[in-house]
Amino acid sequence: MSLLFIVIAVVLVALIFDFTNGFHDSANAMAGPIATGALTARKAVIIAAVLNVVGACLSTEVAKTISGGFFDERLVNPSMVLAGLVGAIVWNLLTWLFGIPSSSSHALFGGLIGAVVVGAGLSSVHGWVVVSKVLLPAVMAPLVAGLAAAVSTKIAYRITRRTPSGRTNTGFKYAQAFTASLVALAHGTSDGQKTMGVITLVLIAGGFQAVGTGPHWWVILAAGVAIGLGTYSGGWRIMRTLGKGIVDIDTPQGATSGAATTATILASSHLGFGLSTTHVATGAILGSGVGRDGGEVRWGMARKLVVAWLLTLPGAAIIGGLAALLAERGAVGPVVLLVLLAAVCVVIWVVSRRNQVTSHNVTDSREVMVLASATPSTYPEDPRLAPAKGSGRAGGKAKKKQKKIKSGV
Amino acid sequence: MKIDWAALGTVAVVSIVMSVLFTVLLASGIRAVSAARLRQQRGGGSGAVLAGGYSLLGLAGLLVLFGIWLIVPQFH
Repeated sequence: MSLLFIVIAVVLVALIFDFTNGFHDSANAMAGPIATGALTARKAVIIAAVLNVVGACLSTEVAKTISGGFFDERLVNPSMVLAGLVGAIVWNLLTWLFGIPSSSSHALFGGLIGAVVVGAGLSSVHGWVVVSKVLLPAVMAPLVAGLAAAVSTKIAYRITRRTPSGRTNTGFKYAQAFTASLVALAHGTSDGQKTMGVITLVLIAGGFQAVGTGPHWWVILAAGVAIGLGTYSGGWRIMRTLGKGIVDIDTPQGATSGAATTATILASSHLGFGLSTTHVATGAILGSGVGRDGGEVRWGMARKLVVAWLLTLPGAAIIGGLAALLAERGAVGPVVLLVLLAAVCVVIWVVSRRNQVTSHNVTDSREVMVLASATPSTYPEDPRLAPAKGSGRAGGKAKKKQKKIKSGV
Repeated sequence: MKIDWAALGTVAVVSIVMSVLFTVLLASGIRAVSAARLRQQRGGGSGAVLAGGYSLLGLAGLLVLFGIWLIVPQFH
């Protein structure tokens, strides 16, 4: 009975992870188009969600391993997978709370590594693989995508410098919407199958599915729907950081950073050097700021993000390890772990409500506030961003909402 | 385990070249189309420029289709 319970728990928690994966990575595709107004916030997440589900259903080859080469696959048992998933979910939620785009795959690997270390000792982890698959790509992805975006941006401005911007914007916005859609589709095919792989492997390990068979139809459907719902829910805090926090994206920059993101992701997934979609998208937006004359890049924010990327694997590993300590304790452990996970989710959600970021106010400010209790978003550096002047309708709506809240409705 | 520097180099070069190619097609197309429209407004002929602009945009569109082809595993 306890094995069946663990397997059911893993399936549920894997779907929750899939959901957080969706809302964490929604911004990779759609932060740019929303920031430049190429797509409205609602439309953008609907397109991304549909393409994510389509992508997830298209992917034929489901991950056969979950270790990614980081540790010995044979050491993993279902309760370790449960603990690893918990670590990944908590890390994804924490980074979301602070509006930090971080790699969901790194969080998943980190969580699993932590659980395996607790269960089987430190020597079971291949340290060199961690360096070559995590540290190096985390540095190279923003460099490659950033360079592609910087050069493209420079060229785009040069070619159209005599053309009045009123005439160029439509074309650039269409291009941005198309490239963003490609990113969303590619994300569905690559990340949708990760969850399917985890669920299928645990079903096989538990003896509920024949060895060597592909995922059940309900696994494909559930994973697709979970990542689609996550994408649709938007992850607006990360959207704000990526769309407004690093660079003020102008329309041509939106198109070039979209092109650079798409080109780098497709090249990386077809030419054998894996790069994280999150790191690529962030790097491309950064590069589009570097490539524009007079473009302002907030390097402080960029530094913060790189630090967060480097912390993602160890951070998720620590949480995953702590979770594993609990999950291995007989029949009660996993139950306590699930209750704790639910509690952490609720606490983070409640804290996020203090300074909510929604589809209405996502582009109103550059900063994602967490602990500061001031309800209206503050505009510390640039008064032009205040909703009264800058972003008319959306800002007005947000204000009305806040008034409602204040008057106790 | 070794780091595959060759793959990394290929990824970097291909990413940059494709991104720049798309941008050049897109920006030149937009520029030609809007120049043609401006000339039309002033009453001049502009058929060739307009056609050229749209064919550049069409090539950029082909790159997007190529992207879809790469992403969907059923196509290859």
